[in-house]
Amino acid sequence: MLNRKIGLLCTSVAGVVLLSACGQSGDSEAASEATSDAGTTVLANGMTVAEQIKLRHDALEAIGDALKGAGDQLKSGSPDMAVIQAAAASVVEKSTGMEDWFPEGTGPDSGVETDALAVIWEDKPDFLTKVSDMQGAAAKFSEAAQGGDAAAIGGAMKELGGTCKACHDKYRKDDD
Amino acid sequence: MATNPEHHVVWDWTVRLVHWLMVILVLLLWWTAEEGMMDWHKRCGLTMLGLVIFRIIWGFSGSWTARFVPMFRRLGSLGGYVRDLKNGSHKPVFGHGPLGILSVFALLGALSVQVGTGLFSVDVDGLESGPLAIWVSFSTGRDIADIHELNFDILSTLISLHVVAILVYQFILKDNLIPPMVTGKRPRSDFAASSLPSIKAGFWAFVLSAGIAAGCVYSVLNAV
Ligand code: HEC
Repeated sequence: MLNRKIGLLCTSVAGVVLLSACGQSGDSEAASEATSDAGTTVLANGMTVAEQIKLRHDALEAIGDALKGAGDQLKSGSPDMAVIQAAAASVVEKSTGMEDWFPEGTGPDSGVETDALAVIWEDKPDFLTKVSDMQGAAAKFSEAAQGGDAAAIGGAMKELGGTCKACHDKYRKDDD
Repeated sequence: MATNPEHHVVWDWTVRLVHWLMVILVLLLWWTAEEGMMDWHKRCGLTMLGLVIFRIIWGFSGSWTARFVPMFRRLGSLGGYVRDLKNGSHKPVFGHGPLGILSVFALLGALSVQVGTGLFSVDVDGLESGPLAIWVSFSTGRDIADIHELNFDILSTLISLHVVAILVYQFILKDNLIPPMVTGKRPRSDFAASSLPSIKAGFWAFVLSAGIAAGCVYSVLNAV
């Protein structure tokens, strides 16, 4: 990792030196033009690529938000169960329909910014299993929240978090 | 040690200890992050926070070679220093040379940003988060985590530069920098000046500085 970074550093320094030695070249302009109307393609479900990607970003963001809200309550020592229950219900609600958020054509070569990796469409059945694992864990988390026992809620939340991570590790681009 | 007139102390023991603890901790922090061992990442991060705070306070309360104000003044000689390096007439400097001072400021700055952003970072699944992340929203925490990641690249670049520079001094300029950072001492004959400041960590200065640093870490731990 560090090796890679040092390598990257050396390469980029060399690159900058080379570039400045050659003077300006017009390559970058041509490259950005090709993607200028990306995302306007209409998918089978009637949404454009850009809309579909935005929809899933917003929903995932809301799920993360809810999980953090519940986690903050648990951390606080005197958790507000109503807040946790609402957050858990919102995770269930927001993750409903996730199996349809990644139609063909909304991957990294769609031209729209996305962290979804192309491998999603190489093994869609496995990806969908991970979706339903998460939805199952979210339902259990919500059940535990109704129960009101902080330890049980914490446990169910860890389980749920594990299903997020299992998918992200394989199908989401991490810049590090 | 002080009885040997052939050697002079350049770095007080806290400077050396903090320096090498930071080296070990940066490696541990990087490794625990890569492995997703977030409990250990947080423990090491809080320790690093304490060290950074201590070192910054020590920059005002410590021995002469540890202090920022003299370092800052010495930056004025940067031009002449670099000229000497180019001419091949480099001579060892007592304490940090002007280039080393830039390195100190840059590394401490980058480390401060790194521990500071770590306190508020939130992981993508909203589960793992820094000890003070409860005070920021999910999306702010995510943005801070992005800075945490980006700044690590800056920090590791600065560290690589630092290590390369030390090796250049050691092997090309024949300026013996590594042993003094371990033992604290350097042969008196390495320096041209006839009188050198005495370098010693003051006991009460240390107790007070370490106490403040520990207090800061303690309040982070008990903030939520
Ligand atoms: C089946 C796979 C899968 C599961 C399960 C999953 N995610 Fe994701 N997640 C992704 C993918 C793929 C992306 C990248 C989407 C993109 O950039 O278009 C992503 C992105 C995100 C993002 C960033 C969204 C943005 O605005 O860029 C958040 C936040 C997120 N996930 C939270 C979660 C949480 C919290 C869970 C668990 C409760 C979870 N995810 C479960 C696949 C998954």
